[in-house]
Amino acid sequence: MAAMIRISRLTFNYPGLRALDDVSLEVEAGSVTALVGPNGAGKTTLLRCIAGLETPLAGSIEVAGMDVIEQPRAVHRRMGYLSDFFGLYQELTVARCLEYAAASQGLPDAAIAQAIRDTAQRLHLSDRLAQTSGSLSRGLRQRVAIGQAIIHQPMVLLLDEPASGLDPEARSELAILFRQLQASGMTLLVSSHILAELDEYSTHLLALRDGRVLENRALQTIASADEVRILHLQLAAPDARLPDWLSGQAGVICKAVESDFAEIGFHGGANAQAALLAALVQTGFAVIRFAEHQENLQQSYLRSVAAHLEKTQ
Amino acid sequence: MINPEFRRNLWLSFSMHRLIAMPALLGLVFLTAAFYGSASSARNLYSTATVLFTLIVCLWGSINANSAIIEELRDKTWDQQCMSALDPWTMTWGKLFGATSFNWYGGAICLVVLALSGITANRSDWLLDLLNLIAIGILLHATVIALNLHTARFETNLIRRGGMGWIVIVFAYLLFQTLAFPFLISSSSVLWWGMTIGSQKVFMLGSALLFMVCAIFAAWRLMSNALQVRTLPWAWPLFVLILSAYYAGFSSKTPFSFVGFFIAAALSYATLLTESNSLLIWNKLRLRWQAKNWRGFLADLPLWPTTLLLAFLFAPMADFTSRAGDGATMLFAMALLLLRDACIILFFSFAPNARRPVVVAVLYIIVLDFLLPFLFKSLGLQAIAYFLNPGSRMFFSETYGSDRVDLLIAGIHAAVALGFVAWRIHESKRREAGPQPGIAA
Repeated sequence: MAAMIRISRLTFNYPGLRALDDVSLEVEAGSVTALVGPNGAGKTTLLRCIAGLETPLAGSIEVAGMDVIEQPRAVHRRMGYLSDFFGLYQELTVARCLEYAAASQGLPDAAIAQAIRDTAQRLHLSDRLAQTSGSLSRGLRQRVAIGQAIIHQPMVLLLDEPASGLDPEARSELAILFRQLQASGMTLLVSSHILAELDEYSTHLLALRDGRVLENRALQTIASADEVRILHLQLAAPDARLPDWLSGQAGVICKAVESDFAEIGFHGGANAQAALLAALVQTGFAVIRFAEHQENLQQSYLRSVAAHLEKTQ
Repeated sequence: MINPEFRRNLWLSFSMHRLIAMPALLGLVFLTAAFYGSASSARNLYSTATVLFTLIVCLWGSINANSAIIEELRDKTWDQQCMSALDPWTMTWGKLFGATSFNWYGGAICLVVLALSGITANRSDWLLDLLNLIAIGILLHATVIALNLHTARFETNLIRRGGMGWIVIVFAYLLFQTLAFPFLISSSSVLWWGMTIGSQKVFMLGSALLFMVCAIFAAWRLMSNALQVRTLPWAWPLFVLILSAYYAGFSSKTPFSFVGFFIAAALSYATLLTESNSLLIWNKLRLRWQAKNWRGFLADLPLWPTTLLLAFLFAPMADFTSRAGDGATMLFAMALLLLRDACIILFFSFAPNARRPVVVAVLYIIVLDFLLPFLFKSLGLQAIAYFLNPGSRMFFSETYGSDRVDLLIAGIHAAVALGFVAWRIHESKRREAGPQPGIAA
């Protein structure tokens, strides 16, 4: 798939500090990329540079084929951004906040009313339109801010810690919204500390550490026949034969095997996996679970960090 | 389609209560003025309208114009504005006339009363006064917006304290002293660049319009930068030239270059003290220069070097002789001292973990230029005092020294200061070559 965001050799300094160090990366069009990393990794700085709110020391940033540094205003028409510490016009009603956002993003007058209705519906704000934004709860304010960022149907949406301060229900609604936005063709880049929350909707992982890219890859891919996958096997009761039996099977790499549980690397497609299961049952193993193990975002991120630390030590 | 920024400000500024209260309150004040005292009602109303306009538009309006930028930054809505698709001009006039719309609503009522009372009292100058008040109101609002946009880029503490509005409010108060009482202004003519302008009020109107245009232009340019639309630094030195031409016109004896030099120097100091001069900016400039990205270099260049360069250009053109000596040599020595002061500010700004570098630099400049020379002079060590501040001879007509010695001493000052800056840059490069100091969010 084509890249929606393309960054090349981006360097950004604060006084006495290098926030981004020669960062190069691409973000796939239509993806939801989880931007993760510890505090001070450079996540906010990266988002602000992509949004054209900060000018880097060196490097280039392209969004939808346009140079952000040279044409920031043109890029803004195609982009939405929700900052970590966003503000709202407290004295304006939700409808007017959305109307201002729509008009300032260049939506024609005739389209604004419909855009407000659609956005309010999408964010479950339809019954709050007449309320002033200052009177709303944190969660509702967050939704209004997201509404302002998406009302003009941007191609790219940048969100810095969008779920901070939200209750679990509001977070779940946010995840549903992000999936809907992705389904409508939007590219999302979401930074968060809460990796479990990103797990619900992210398709890609972009890990930063010390201002450098640690990892940038797709999270879930359909396994091909020649790919090694991690399988978990659980028996109803311990069986001492299991370690030896598994090590004798073709395509199986034993990672952690005990008498009632095994984590194996498996080289083969779905048919080969079915054949291995049949062999296990035929041999008399009381199999109660035999499935591919999907690594969650947190595990994936921690594995990347561990690999990075191992490499640098 | 109405300007969204202007419309948003109208939403925030007007309510039914405010719409009714303003004319009602003004009506009461005018009614009281009409029936007060022995002077004619028309004259009373004329002065009352002028005073009220000054209070409502010039003072209160400046406070609201100040909030136009400060509140966006404080309430964290500025990012949303920067991310909008509004062009800098739309944003500028939306804020300029939107944030002050309620003041102009009240001001418009005052102007109607001023016009009607002026006509009734057969005043010939009511239109001039009216236009003058409008121009000064816009000038003040645009200036406060421009000042806040200028400082908002790096002086976050200043923004938290309420911005630069107080400067304009003081300025407005000074204007109030003259403009609120038009009868205090004599109608004698003005001689400017050899031209006799019949009425002082006509000249004041021309001046107010000129500076109003400059202030709006400045607000637009600074808004462009705030919205990441990069500009080249030609407008600031052009403003110095306009200001120099304006003030040089008042005196046939003072050469243009002399006025120009002092204005360029004053505005160099003004920008030096209010712009960021961190090493980051100069590193960025170095990279742009190395990449031969001249446009990027000029767009990132602080403003003060442009006016410092103008000061150096004006100095040799000063074709006059004063009691202190040859004009060109004197001004060139002063330009070198200006360069020295710029280097002192850079030296402290380039320090690692620099805290309030400008304040520290100003303190050292005061010690170097005033405290130490006075101390040595008091001790009878006049030569040392002269070496520390060659300017003392220029201003106090000391018996020793000469133009050339002034120039030599100023050159030594500048060279030493440049050396300190070069050392600071060398040290920072050495630190950069070592381990990375840390990483920011």
